[in-house]
Amino acid sequence: MTAPLLAVLMMVQLDSAPSPRSPRSPRTVMAIGQVALINTFVNRVDALVFKHDWARSGTRVWGEHLRLGWEWDEDAFTTNMFAHPYHGSLYFNAARSNGVDFFQAVPYAIMGSWTWEYFGEKYRPSLNDWYMTSFGGITLGEVFHRISATIRDNRATGRGRTLREIAALPMDPIGSLNRLVRGEWRARGVNPPEHDPGSYVFRIGGGARFAKGLMADSGVGRMGAMLVDLLYGDPFATEYRSPFDVFGVRLMLSSNGGFSSLRASGRIYGTNLNNPARRARHVLAVNTRYDFFKNRAQSVGGQSVEIGINSRWPIGSRGYAFRTSIFGDGILLGAIDASGTGLGTRTYDFGPGVGARWEFGFDRHGARFLRVFGQLEYIHAVSGASADHIVDFSGIEANIPIGRGFGIAAHSTVFHRTSRYSTAPKDERNYPEARLLLTWTKSGFKP
Amino acid sequence: MDQIRVQALRRTICGIALTVLLTAPAWAQRAHRLHRPHRSGLWAELGAGPGRVRIACSGCTDVVVASAPSGYLRIGGTVSERVLIGVEVFSSLDRAFGFSRGDTTTRAETATATVVVLWFPSRRGFFFKGGVGLAAGQFTVPGTAGVDTSNGGGIGLTFGFGWDFAISRKVAITTNLAAHVTAVGDVVLPGKRIDDVIATMYQGSIGFTFR
Repeated sequence: MTAPLLAVLMMVQLDSAPSPRSPRSPRTVMAIGQVALINTFVNRVDALVFKHDWARSGTRVWGEHLRLGWEWDEDAFTTNMFAHPYHGSLYFNAARSNGVDFFQAVPYAIMGSWTWEYFGEKYRPSLNDWYMTSFGGITLGEVFHRISATIRDNRATGRGRTLREIAALPMDPIGSLNRLVRGEWRARGVNPPEHDPGSYVFRIGGGARFAKGLMADSGVGRMGAMLVDLLYGDPFATEYRSPFDVFGVRLMLSSNGGFSSLRASGRIYGTNLNNPARRARHVLAVNTRYDFFKNRAQSVGGQSVEIGINSRWPIGSRGYAFRTSIFGDGILLGAIDASGTGLGTRTYDFGPGVGARWEFGFDRHGARFLRVFGQLEYIHAVSGASADHIVDFSGIEANIPIGRGFGIAAHSTVFHRTSRYSTAPKDERNYPEARLLLTWTKSGFKP
Repeated sequence: MDQIRVQALRRTICGIALTVLLTAPAWAQRAHRLHRPHRSGLWAELGAGPGRVRIACSGCTDVVVASAPSGYLRIGGTVSERVLIGVEVFSSLDRAFGFSRGDTTTRAETATATVVVLWFPSRRGFFFKGGVGLAAGQFTVPGTAGVDTSNGGGIGLTFGFGWDFAISRKVAITTNLAAHVTAVGDVVLPGKRIDDVIATMYQGSIGFTFR
């Protein structure tokens, strides 16, 4: 699949190969061409190689789509809530990897998704797909763009350099292919500003997860779990410079169900609320957030914009501090599993919502030892069941260092939901969960 | 009587739209002479125009199309010389709507409240617009004992383009062509249930911008 894409990418390389990150204006035509190419390529591969009937679209289908307009689709939760945002990240990073800045790259995700929905599939354009691909693509796209830029190192050489380029490929395939075609996998040069987040905390943990309702409706199930946390930048160490100069990602994989959660939240605007020279700091942040939680007991996710205040109270002079966060959010479009859903084979509802979250933590240079948090979200279903859903998620997480970056982490969380259906009884469920993990933390701090 | 008034209103709005479009080049020249960014600081825009609403639903093999007058209010600020952000409230009203051909018994009101971004590619006044937010819809039919009403709330989406024609330093006349998508859930009326209604309004409008 990569070979034909590479061939066409080479054909649309209108510019000569530059040295990595040489200052130049954005390659707008190239970015637009690559967005169109992604859609054409995916459609043709699905139609000709995988023989998918849904990919057999043409002018008659396009006319029908323009006449009939939007509808809601019945795809699986993971398809709609993860695969589509990932697809959107390809459009977004087609622009970002061609030098287009964050805000200018937003229309690429939006228009890429719109053209795919109207012209890429035989099915009618799906409004939920457009939302998830566009807004999920922007959030995940910028996260992937920055993580990939951090992994790649334009000053490195040899096998290590190649391994870095390969490691970044799954997150930013379009950027990686562009670099390969332009000879940037080998060319030495300066790194882009995104390469160095300044302060960061990377924590990976593996261990056991104990959860009620995940293995069976009664009793407690035990399964293996892997958790990855990344804090890129620090809202107190880094003054706001550009969108996503500070973001956080959490990924959890589980031996029961595989990919069970992914959350990414990045700052698109921030400002100091008090004098930065003061010991206690308060900063305002506007974030975009992507949520995906899926397991046998509950499925919930969506695209949100949140606004709130991060505060930090230092203790002593060795970097220890208490941190608090309080945010309110608007869910542009959320999804939640619903037993009474009424749309074909789909088992979850779509709708907008509002919510709030809070957090209290104790850390050193951003690396948490203790974290207590809560989150409350309300989703009003507009597709699926006629229902209102309230989700309450809270927990406590402790990480005890045992030396050389290693630590023991103990997490306890409770997921609670209440769904009120207009045509069915109220549904209320509780899912407590505990995790015991061996963790490894690597962090850097630049004041 | 309502029908006649609505038709007269449509004709008036169309007439104004035609006049503005025909005189647009001269106004654009004038705007160019003013040598001033299209909008700066706090701005507000109020406008109205004819619309064409297309209502689709899940499982429907066809769509219902009708005409309806519409209006909007947009207020915002400037992020940069080319990018503006604001809040837009849009509403349309069709007093003679129906969910099937020939049916004109339903009064359909749809509205969106969205956060919008306006992007001016140049200083000439042409702009693109896009925004997301919330939507509401109300469908009312006369029943045997009063009226039956179905209300729904959901997601709203708008995109389009327009042109600011400066008539003074502080005022411009703005033309818009836009689509407003309102997804308001199920509509339940006597004898019928329409699942997952998505109404798309295509609107041509003229407004006054205070900038």
